[in-house]
Amino acid sequence: MILDLHLHSELSDDSRAPVEAYLKLLQRKRAERPVDGIVLTEHRQFDPSRDYRALEDRYGLLILNAAEVETDYGHVLVYGVNEDILARFDFRDVRLPAAELIAEVTRLGGIALPCHPGRATVGLCAHYQTKPPLAGVVAVEALNGGSRGGEDARVEELIARHGYKAFGGSDSHLVSFVGVCATEFEAEVRSIEDLVRELRDGRYRPVDFRPRRSAPRA
Amino acid sequence: MTAHADLARSLRGVTAWPSFPPMPLDIDPAIIGAEFDRATFGPVTADELTAFARALGETRPEYLEDGPGLIGHPTYCVRFKGNKFYPESLPKTIDVRRGFDAGKDIVFGVPVRPGDLVHVVCTLHEIYEKTGRTGSMYFVVIRFTMSNQRGEMLAIIDNRFMHR
Repeated sequence: MILDLHLHSELSDDSRAPVEAYLKLLQRKRAERPVDGIVLTEHRQFDPSRDYRALEDRYGLLILNAAEVETDYGHVLVYGVNEDILARFDFRDVRLPAAELIAEVTRLGGIALPCHPGRATVGLCAHYQTKPPLAGVVAVEALNGGSRGGEDARVEELIARHGYKAFGGSDSHLVSFVGVCATEFEAEVRSIEDLVRELRDGRYRPVDFRPRRSAPRA
Repeated sequence: MTAHADLARSLRGVTAWPSFPPMPLDIDPAIIGAEFDRATFGPVTADELTAFARALGETRPEYLEDGPGLIGHPTYCVRFKGNKFYPESLPKTIDVRRGFDAGKDIVFGVPVRPGDLVHVVCTLHEIYEKTGRTGSMYFVVIRFTMSNQRGEMLAIIDNRFMHR
């Protein structure tokens, strides 16, 4: 099963992508991006009232909700957000303590995973140059659709050094980028509880559906 | 070699941008949603409406041909603002001298027509922080609520500015 674990809709301040437009594009590009579902990770917010079941039924794709928050170790994706997690952390705070976030989200039933760790300023690699490694990190986003040159390569070294699991997400803010990077799970994921369980204990790998650039002509 | 090309060349290969130290933003919740200015413009002329549409490259007759059917292009209202750029209550942490327009969200109402007055009410809609590759940023969203002399809503424009 393949899920795009990181993308933003028009609910995020820097995206104008309607959720339904993502689904239409995935239907049309099924052969190139065989994604079975998406996980919306809106910036600095989580709205438990969002309900995409009608869209799921119409397009036959799984839609789950999560969040991307900002911490003293860069940006972190939080899956399995619940009332306890929302009561414990103010997602609008751009200086959330990453160590506490990871430990507490785990204790409260979710999982918090650093995203685009190779990115300057907001990635784990940059923070590991000046601060001790974080405890409790299970996996990092090894493939991010918005990465620039060298960012994903930097993550390979991070993973090798710390033994993290790896996942992928498109980090799409535009409709056309949905599903360009994703995560393939060995087990079925049908709910956010399934996703949290699989991210913690399951087997998965990042998958890259970005078109390969042809070699420059001699 | 232009200055722009020089800058582009000097930035080539830069992988780590200088980081701006984050400063906590202390906001009094009472300032959010508060009106800080209002102004009235017009009456709008047919020439103004058609000139705006032509500048956009519009070809549809309802935006270009003077007459009873002439209406303003839907984005015509972005011309209007209040007289004050920001409210005085804006936190001093935000350096308003450094920033750029970060986009607009527009809710369209009834079209502007020749002879209309445009009443603009300005409120501080939102202030928030975010972090990115280049460091910490503050966003200020000013809401312009626009109506005509008949009390009909013309547009609600959320204008987003980024500062650091």
